[in-house]
Amino acid sequence: MPANRIVPLVDGEAVGGGCFLLTFQHEETAREARPGQFVMIKAGVSAEPPLRRPFSILSVDAERDTFTLFVKAVGRVSGALAAMAPGDKALCLGPLGRPFTLPPDHTEALLVAGGYGIAPFRFLGVELRRAGARARLLYGGRTAADLPLLERLSGLGLDVVPVTEDGSLGERGLVTLPLEAYLDRAPGPVRLYACGPEAMMHAVARIAAARSLPAEVSLDPWMGCGIGTCLACVVRVQGEEEERWRYRCACTEGPVFDAARVVWPGEDRSRARLAAAAGGAR
Amino acid sequence: MNLAVEVAGIRLKNPLIAASGTFGYGVEHEGLLDLSLLGGIVSKGLYMEPRDGAPPPRIVETPSGLLNAIGLQGVGIRAFVRDVLPRMRRHDTVLLVNVCGDTVEEYAEVARVCDDAPGIAGLEVNISCPNVERGGLAFGGDPRMTHEVVAAVRRATRLPVIPKLSPNVADIAVFARAAEEAGADALSCINTLLGLAIDVETRRPRLGFGTGGLSGPAIRPVAVRMAWQASRAVRIPVIGIGGIASASDALEFLIAGCRAVQIGTANFVDPGIHERILDDLREYLGRHRLDDVNAVVGTLEYPAPARRCDERGPGEPGGCP
Repeated sequence: MPANRIVPLVDGEAVGGGCFLLTFQHEETAREARPGQFVMIKAGVSAEPPLRRPFSILSVDAERDTFTLFVKAVGRVSGALAAMAPGDKALCLGPLGRPFTLPPDHTEALLVAGGYGIAPFRFLGVELRRAGARARLLYGGRTAADLPLLERLSGLGLDVVPVTEDGSLGERGLVTLPLEAYLDRAPGPVRLYACGPEAMMHAVARIAAARSLPAEVSLDPWMGCGIGTCLACVVRVQGEEEERWRYRCACTEGPVFDAARVVWPGEDRSRARLAAAAGGAR
Repeated sequence: MNLAVEVAGIRLKNPLIAASGTFGYGVEHEGLLDLSLLGGIVSKGLYMEPRDGAPPPRIVETPSGLLNAIGLQGVGIRAFVRDVLPRMRRHDTVLLVNVCGDTVEEYAEVARVCDDAPGIAGLEVNISCPNVERGGLAFGGDPRMTHEVVAAVRRATRLPVIPKLSPNVADIAVFARAAEEAGADALSCINTLLGLAIDVETRRPRLGFGTGGLSGPAIRPVAVRMAWQASRAVRIPVIGIGGIASASDALEFLIAGCRAVQIGTANFVDPGIHERILDDLREYLGRHRLDDVNAVVGTLEYPAPARRCDERGPGEPGGCP
C-alpha cells in the first residue's frame, strides 16, 4: 500500500550535469516498489504549492528501508530537492502506479531509454537479472552529456548500447536506428520497454506495432496528486475491447502503458475504428 | 473539547470537509488517511452521464496557486451510486454529492437519483464551474438562473441543498440571497477564480481548455472576503472554501462567519492535511481557552469605518492638529 509520510533525506550525491542521486528513508517504497513505479515528493512539509512531482524509482534498499531517485535540478521542486541536506525532511507518497511487466521465460527484454528516461531502467535491470532474463539497453541522447548514469549501469548484466545524435559517444544517430538494426537480427522473442521523450516513445510504439512486438512505455504527463483524484495526468488510451479511447490517469492506470493501447498525439484511432464499424469512410 | 458543527441540518464531527474535485469520490484515499477523521467529503462533480472532461494539459502551477481546467471528467451519478457509494458508506463520515448539469432539468434529475440513494447526506449544487461549455458558471453568473437551478433542485429532493457560489461576480451577496430565497439550506463559498495562463513561446494558453479556475493560497484573501460578505447577506450557514492549507487559514473563514470549511488544493500536496489541521485547530482552541469550535464562528472584530480627522470631535484622539 502506498504511504504518505514526512521522510528524511539519507544521502545526496551530485553526479554531474545538474543531476543528483537522492536517497530517502521510506519503508513502504523500499519494501514494496516494483520497477516502473514512482513516488510523489517535494522538499519540506508545507501543504501549500508547489505541488509534489512524480519521480521514477531508481533503486530500493529493503534492508535499509531506503529508496533512491535520480533528480535533474531544472525547476522549483527538483531544485529544492537537490538542495536538501541529509536529515532534511520531504513530503513523500509512494510507491505509486502500474509497474513494468517482466518478460515471459526465454524472451529478451529490450530497453530503450532517452536521456533522463533512464530513471526507471536501472531498477528494471536489477529485476530482469534476478529473473534471469536476457536484457539489452539502448540508451540515446543528443550528446554524451545527455547520457547520465551510463557508468553506473555496469554490473547489472545489461548489454548497454550508447547512441548519440552527434556521435560524441557510441553509435551516431537516433536510438531507433540501432533498435531496428537489432530487431532485424534478434535471435528470439523480444519485449520492448521505452522511457524518454514522447516522440521517441511514439517511434518505438510504431516499430513495435509494425513488427507485432509487445511493448510498454512509461509516460510522463503533468501530474497533480498521484492517486487519481485531480484527473490532471490523463492520457488517451483505448482498451482492446473498447469502441473509443478514454482519458486514463497516468498515475493510477500508468505510468506504464501497453504501447499499442496509447492513442498518441495526432492520432485519432476511435474515429477510424468507428468509421470502419459503420462500413467504411462516409 | 467540541469540534462538531451543524450545517444545513447535517451534523459534522468537525468543521473540515474535503472539497469537490480534490478528493475524488473518497475511495481513492482509503489506506492513505483515516476517512473517519473528516467532517465530510464532497464528491467530484457528477452529471447524469459519464464525461470525458477537458483536453490536457489540465493543470498549471501559478504563484501560490493552481490553475485547472479538468472539465468535470466523471463516472456519472448512476455509476457513483452503484459502484462507489456502497464502499464509501462504510466510512464514518458525511458524504455530500456535487451535482452538475447542462440544463436545469439535468440538475434536478441528478438530485432525484441522489434522493433515492441511501448514504448521501446532502447535495452541493455546482453552479460555478468555469471549465465547461454549458451549465456551471452560466447558471452561477446570473442571479435569476441561480434562483431557477436552486429552486429546481429544491423541488427534486428532500436532502439539504447547498449551492456552490462563483467568485466571478461583482456582488456575491446578490447571489447568496437568490440562492437562499430559492430554498438553499447552506452555501459553499467559493469556487475557483477564472484565470488565463499563456505560454509566451507558443502564444497559446497553457491549458488545453484555454481558461481555467484558480485555486490555492493565491485566492485565500479573496475567498475570505467573499465568504464573509455572503455570510452577512443571508441567514443560512456558509461553508468557506479557498486556499486553506493550515488551521490558521481555516480559522480565518470561521472567524469571518463560516460554520464549516472545505479543504481543496492542499489535498493534492498532502493527503494527510486534514489530520494536521485538526491537531492545530485543537491547539488553537486550547490556547484561547475555548471548549467549542462554534465559539469562534463569526467573531470577526471588524473596525468601524475610519473617519477623517475633521470628522472627529474636539479633543478626540486623531483629531485635526
